[in-house]
Amino acid sequence: MARLRRLRSRPLGRREALAGFLFVSPWLLALVVFHLYPIVAATYLSLSEYSVFTPPEFIGFDNYAKLWDDPTVWRAAGNSLFYALLSVPIGLVVALILALLLNRPVRGIGIHRTLFYMPAVVPPVAGTIVFLLLLEPRAGPLNTAIETVGLDGPAWFQDPAWAKWGLIILSLWGVGAATLIFLAGLQEIPESLLEAASMDGAGPWRRFSNVTLPLLTPVILFNLVIGVIYSFQVFDAAMIVGGTSGVPGGSTLMYMVHIYRTAFGYFDMGYASAQAMVLFLVIVAVTGAIFGTTRRWVYEGV
Amino acid sequence: MRPDLRRQMPIVVSRRRFLQLLGMSGAAVFLGSCGGEEEVVQTTAASASPTTAAPTTAAPIDIDFWLPGGSDPFCQGFVTVADAFSASGSGINVTEVLCGVADDEDFNERLLANLAAGTPPDAVIIWDPPVVMASLGALEPLDDLMAASVNSKVENWPEGVLASCRWDGQIFGLPATASSYAIFYNQELLESKGIPSGRDDFPTTWDDLKALSAEFVQWDGDTLVSAGMIPPYDAVEAAIWSATNGGTLYDAESKQVRLDSDENIEMLDFGLQWLNEQYKGDWVAMDASGNYLGAGYVDELGRPPGFQGGDQLAVVNGFWLAADMYGSEFAGWERWNVAGFPVGPSGTSTASGFWPNWCAIPKGAPNPEASFAWLDYLVVDGMSTWFSQVPDIPTNRLAPDDLFPQSVADQRGDEFATDMTQFFTGQLEVAAPMWTCPVQNFLHDQLYTAISSVMLKEATPKEALTLAQEATQAELDSLLS
Repeated sequence: MARLRRLRSRPLGRREALAGFLFVSPWLLALVVFHLYPIVAATYLSLSEYSVFTPPEFIGFDNYAKLWDDPTVWRAAGNSLFYALLSVPIGLVVALILALLLNRPVRGIGIHRTLFYMPAVVPPVAGTIVFLLLLEPRAGPLNTAIETVGLDGPAWFQDPAWAKWGLIILSLWGVGAATLIFLAGLQEIPESLLEAASMDGAGPWRRFSNVTLPLLTPVILFNLVIGVIYSFQVFDAAMIVGGTSGVPGGSTLMYMVHIYRTAFGYFDMGYASAQAMVLFLVIVAVTGAIFGTTRRWVYEGV
Repeated sequence: MRPDLRRQMPIVVSRRRFLQLLGMSGAAVFLGSCGGEEEVVQTTAASASPTTAAPTTAAPIDIDFWLPGGSDPFCQGFVTVADAFSASGSGINVTEVLCGVADDEDFNERLLANLAAGTPPDAVIIWDPPVVMASLGALEPLDDLMAASVNSKVENWPEGVLASCRWDGQIFGLPATASSYAIFYNQELLESKGIPSGRDDFPTTWDDLKALSAEFVQWDGDTLVSAGMIPPYDAVEAAIWSATNGGTLYDAESKQVRLDSDENIEMLDFGLQWLNEQYKGDWVAMDASGNYLGAGYVDELGRPPGFQGGDQLAVVNGFWLAADMYGSEFAGWERWNVAGFPVGPSGTSTASGFWPNWCAIPKGAPNPEASFAWLDYLVVDGMSTWFSQVPDIPTNRLAPDDLFPQSVADQRGDEFATDMTQFFTGQLEVAAPMWTCPVQNFLHDQLYTAISSVMLKEATPKEALTLAQEATQAELDSLLS
């Protein structure tokens, strides 16, 4: 602090500080305008009755009380929780397996890595439409493949019991980003440790479970946290598959979609803000809980 | 810059200075990029308007007009009408037509943002019922403007349709077009079984229609290979099914939701029995078998519609389907017709429904009189152009009444196209009250949940509609309080 004061007191230091602030100003501005202000505004609006057309009217915690008694909110929250609980671990496992495969020194590995990452940059709408066609019950490629082994494929997005599973499978489409991060983590693991394990007689599985996996836990933590945050906020795919009604039978009505329809369908911005604040707090709590467990399973450093 | 001048100017840009400039430029670019992409079409009036209008009472008034979107020809059609209006000597120029917003934006979001910011457009077409927006104080009342207008006097609109614009004794919108609903049916399928196929021969009670449907339902194991008619399932059309059974979804006069009325429970139960008798009681199997719920359109899975494929006797849909009938999936047959809705077990008369495009003036629009003059022109003089691009039925009684979809005339002749269009126009006169509830979107979602839970055997009609009733009435009470 004293050093900073000394720096500021010098003309050159002040100029450098100014230059520094100018550099970060776009980011600071974006932080204030697009993150801090909406959070503060949403907090206030969640305590208000607000339809956009008239000024917000403070109503205390009424929106939160309403939320507690709203069966649709619970249904949407249940759908989102189901999706998060399954899509995140499945996504992590698939991403890790892909990363392990892409970490092998084979010819054309760069092309393979690019191919696996490409879906992550495909617009979600396009990806979802592709999966709608893939999971078509009668003539879709997946069910056709299932039929070849003598089984009947489910009706996927036509069947409330399977629609969320369809969304979970669809979530794997974007697993390339997590794969890339796992890959970077894998390449950070010192070869010497793996060689030492080999010399001690460890086979591939022991090397993976006793060396690779523990050293990968910081990356797993990162992907887990990001995965949890994104899974609670799933919107595009659910909206395209089920619209604002959560077709079929409300099974794809995710929490974010319900927030959207409350805001822009029912014009109840105050109530939608309360729902958003609850989601924010839940994500903070879940993320905090995950971080609370890290001492037991995340290994920092080598 | 000339080289000789450059030499005269000492240009000293240190690295630090360069970085400072870069930082400032970054901020400027960032701020500049905050503006969104607009789909604004400049009309010729915009370019013809003087950049600085003389401060006289005769100065032309510039207005802008927003609509949710459409194809390029459709949007261009509005520019054509706007130009014609601007050139009509009214002293009003429609200088901008915003037809839809960027792909990553939603029209409603954009409109709401502008309303919240106090910069509303002068006039809009909205797809949310005026009652909904009026109840929230978002629209200007139009009663006085209508009374003084050339085209838009109250008596020039079908009352059932205009009801969708009434809130608290005032009118907040003009239902410029309102395509009505009917039952489209395959005449050739009927004739193949020796059943008369004229419109007058079509069943007039739901019981008779259900019996007729049974003739065409065929299963191959768990796969439905041909369908008659699918029992009631669409939440928007529920107002029609209810009305044909003597019920209603919402009573605008008493501001009471009526979802769980005896008539509605009976009608939903009737649909459930229909599902059980003809479709094995298995909604999922029926839906998975093919596109029988797309009501004449390719569904979200890309499956061609059963109706056009000749595998489905009848579908319920609006007039727009007639114009869209002859897509690539229409094959193997030719003759279809339309009929009115049958009467339910407790009903006494037929009814229809409609889906309008509403014109409105947002609250706070700077020139409501000028905006209304434009809308008054659009709802009559603009209808031929509108219809030529998207055949929606003009609602105003002064609008041209000799319009018909050219695609239908090309396939079936002018006489059939005219008769069919007039039939749909006539259906507006028996339209059930629709779009009149100030929590219409909420009601729709609750009704969807109720119908689907019944069809999926998760609840009985009474249980499902009671839940929907309680939730919707509570939402309405909350709004009204």
